Amino acid sequence: MAGILIKNAFVIDPISGIKGEVMDIAINKGKIVEEAPPGSEIIDAAGCLTLPGGIDSHSHVCGTKVNFGRYMSPEDMRAGRTARKGVMHVTSGYSVPTTFGNSYRYSTMGYTTILEGAMAPLEARHTHEEFTATPHQDMLANTLFDGNWSIMEAVQEKDTRRAAAVVAWVLAAAKGFAIKLTNPGGTEAWGWGEDVHSVHDPVPKFGVTPAEIISTMIRANELLNLPHSVHLHCNNLGVPGNYQTTLDTIELAPDLNRERQSLYLTHVQFHSYGGSTWRDICSKSEDITRAVNNRPQVVMDMGQIMFGRTTTMTADGPMEFKLYMLHHNKWSNHDVELETGSGIIPVYYGRKSLVNCVMWSIGLELALLTRNPWQCLLSTDSPNGAPFVKYPEIIALLMSRRLRENERRMIDPRTEHFVPLFAIERELDWYEIAVMTRAAQAKALGITRIGKGYLAPGAEADVAIFSIRPDQVDPSVDYQQVMAGFSRTRYTIKRGRIVARDGEVVVEGANSTIWTKAIVPDAYDMSLDPEFRKKFEQYYTVRMSNYPVQDVYLPRGVRIETEAQL
Amino acid sequence: MRVVLKTRPREKPRIPIEAEEIIPQNFLRKDDITVYYGNKERSLEDLFFVTIEGPAVSPDQVEVVLTGETGMIKRVGEYMNAGRIIIEGDIGMHCGNFMSAGEIVIRGNADAWLGREMRGGRILCEGNAGHYCAAGYRGEKRGMRGGTVEVKGNAGDFTAEYLSGGEVIIHGNCGDLPGVEMRGGTLVVGGDCARPCGNMTGGTCMVFGKARQFLPTFRSNGSQEVEYAGKRYRMNTFRGDVANRGKGTLMVRA
Repeated sequence: MAGILIKNAFVIDPISGIKGEVMDIAINKGKIVEEAPPGSEIIDAAGCLTLPGGIDSHSHVCGTKVNFGRYMSPEDMRAGRTARKGVMHVTSGYSVPTTFGNSYRYSTMGYTTILEGAMAPLEARHTHEEFTATPHQDMLANTLFDGNWSIMEAVQEKDTRRAAAVVAWVLAAAKGFAIKLTNPGGTEAWGWGEDVHSVHDPVPKFGVTPAEIISTMIRANELLNLPHSVHLHCNNLGVPGNYQTTLDTIELAPDLNRERQSLYLTHVQFHSYGGSTWRDICSKSEDITRAVNNRPQVVMDMGQIMFGRTTTMTADGPMEFKLYMLHHNKWSNHDVELETGSGIIPVYYGRKSLVNCVMWSIGLELALLTRNPWQCLLSTDSPNGAPFVKYPEIIALLMSRRLRENERRMIDPRTEHFVPLFAIERELDWYEIAVMTRAAQAKALGITRIGKGYLAPGAEADVAIFSIRPDQVDPSVDYQQVMAGFSRTRYTIKRGRIVARDGEVVVEGANSTIWTKAIVPDAYDMSLDPEFRKKFEQYYTVRMSNYPVQDVYLPRGVRIETEAQL
Repeated sequence: MRVVLKTRPREKPRIPIEAEEIIPQNFLRKDDITVYYGNKERSLEDLFFVTIEGPAVSPDQVEVVLTGETGMIKRVGEYMNAGRIIIEGDIGMHCGNFMSAGEIVIRGNADAWLGREMRGGRILCEGNAGHYCAAGYRGEKRGMRGGTVEVKGNAGDFTAEYLSGGEVIIHGNCGDLPGVEMRGGTLVVGGDCARPCGNMTGGTCMVFGKARQFLPTFRSNGSQEVEYAGKRYRMNTFRGDVANRGKGTLMVRA
């Protein structure tokens, strides 16, 4: 593979401290290098915006629940069909596309790494199989621990080390990347037909509270030195007045790691509601962002909603049941034995619905009111808030007050009484967008260590060259150009290879799956623990020896090893 | 203008033809109409003898006549908005998909999904219709929204599923679950059927034959006289489906 030399690129690379310089980038053997080898392909970027490959730190693209979303929504599969073309497979689907659909659409937007937001360890094989069919992005899987019985027992006994040991074993078995807690305790309570309503509500049978689970898991995470922090979907998602729960959760986050955050809060838009019913729901983004601004140990992502049709899917079973009771449309509910659950329903977010308009505003407010862009990442919790193809529109909204004012005229006129959005003058700049879409993700996920998210020599050669010329485009006025520019790259380069050009995918692609293995002393190796083994054989419907995902499911696995402090 | 399309003899007559381009307005504007024969795109002349008689200035003056081996031709009249299509024999699936105006007359039988999610216009089928006549396609929450579908013979299962507007008249019998998930509009079944109107929330359904396996989730609401095919019938009237808080009306001959 010959090298590539990108000339005259307008580079923004926040991790390397480059805030917009016209420079050349040389690529050789899949890495960024100082000097391109002779005979390299030359790309003239002509002053176009060039960023590290995009990273989505929370998206639902692969796994059993996504697949269930696919087959319960045949109408969605008819919505986004593209025919076979060159190396591109046929794709279909809009909010829950086929794996190739996801991969191609992300690739043409310049994304090269995606984190799957929730993988149940018991169903990890399916997720990994779909990962290999998402060939243009390196994949990571958040592994669900919210209702894991072994974890609950460890929390009950206040044994952080045992919890850490369970995490280490399950992550290595499921080939997962990080700890995901979805409505901690609540999903387990849902198994008993209940839910938890604050971080101090006890979970049935176990008697532990979400606060205890969260605190224990944050500490266990640090004991294992995992690259990412605990990835938390707070309790009470989508309930008016739930901002108090979110604030209580933020209070729980200690500052334990110097390199990254100690707690990652995902789709915070769904957790920033004031009021007490759907009638008086209002934005509490100011309270949330004030708390986040004061705590550098917390990072969140927006979870922006965009108007239109989509599908919601989460491991938060009780929340989906509440949504079902509102919509009375199709609903799927799923229990994963001893581990977690999930729910799926299709939704439509409308401009005529005041509640939806308030939700839409809150997401934008979170991004605009968080002072440090490294602490609020751009996401839609795809497809829950909107399919990821809406990212360019969100970028345009964040960069242009004028566009927000235009939108204001189209949404429910009462919205402004419930949200502060239209009083915010801030318009994000190119640098902040680069932080919110790739650099901050790389830092938050701790994958800069494997060369992700920056363009200095030694980094993985994941590059996105957009057709936007920052010296000629004023994003606050030319928002249409911003939208068009971010929806398709001129070139997407993945590990030193051009994978997409002008919105068209040009190679078959081969991705890798990144997973973590924490090396623990034998005393904490759960596969040797007699009590763990006994309970496993007693309660699971699979044998412990059949549970771990075999290496054959990860043809190109990348293992991050960490040394646990146990 | 009268367009006659007679099928040419095909080597493999069981391979379906996808012909969503066969709609009156296309014959006015386009001369490169193509259809799919299996997975191969073919010009209209490859599969049909085409004769065009007379002029037309607007699509409603166009009449398309399909004759020959037409039973495997799918999607005829999709998105049709004016004019007339006459099918001399049987027709394949998805005839009159999404049509909004105009008329389709089928002299033979129609396969499944006749008038799927239709918005307006009129379809008359003189033979039998297949399953999902005048219904919504998989996953769709609104089926037919307007217009009229009339079937002289019988219809299959799930007739008028998700019906939300317009009128569906089946003179013969229906299969299982006619009018299931109905939201509006009118469904008339001249003959017998089974389990009519499960989960209906609105609209009116009248069954002039026997309704077998009548669902228990309908509340009796007296009786009334209704005229059908020139005769008056006394009908038992029900409200439901109460399992779904429905406010539909179901009438069955007393």
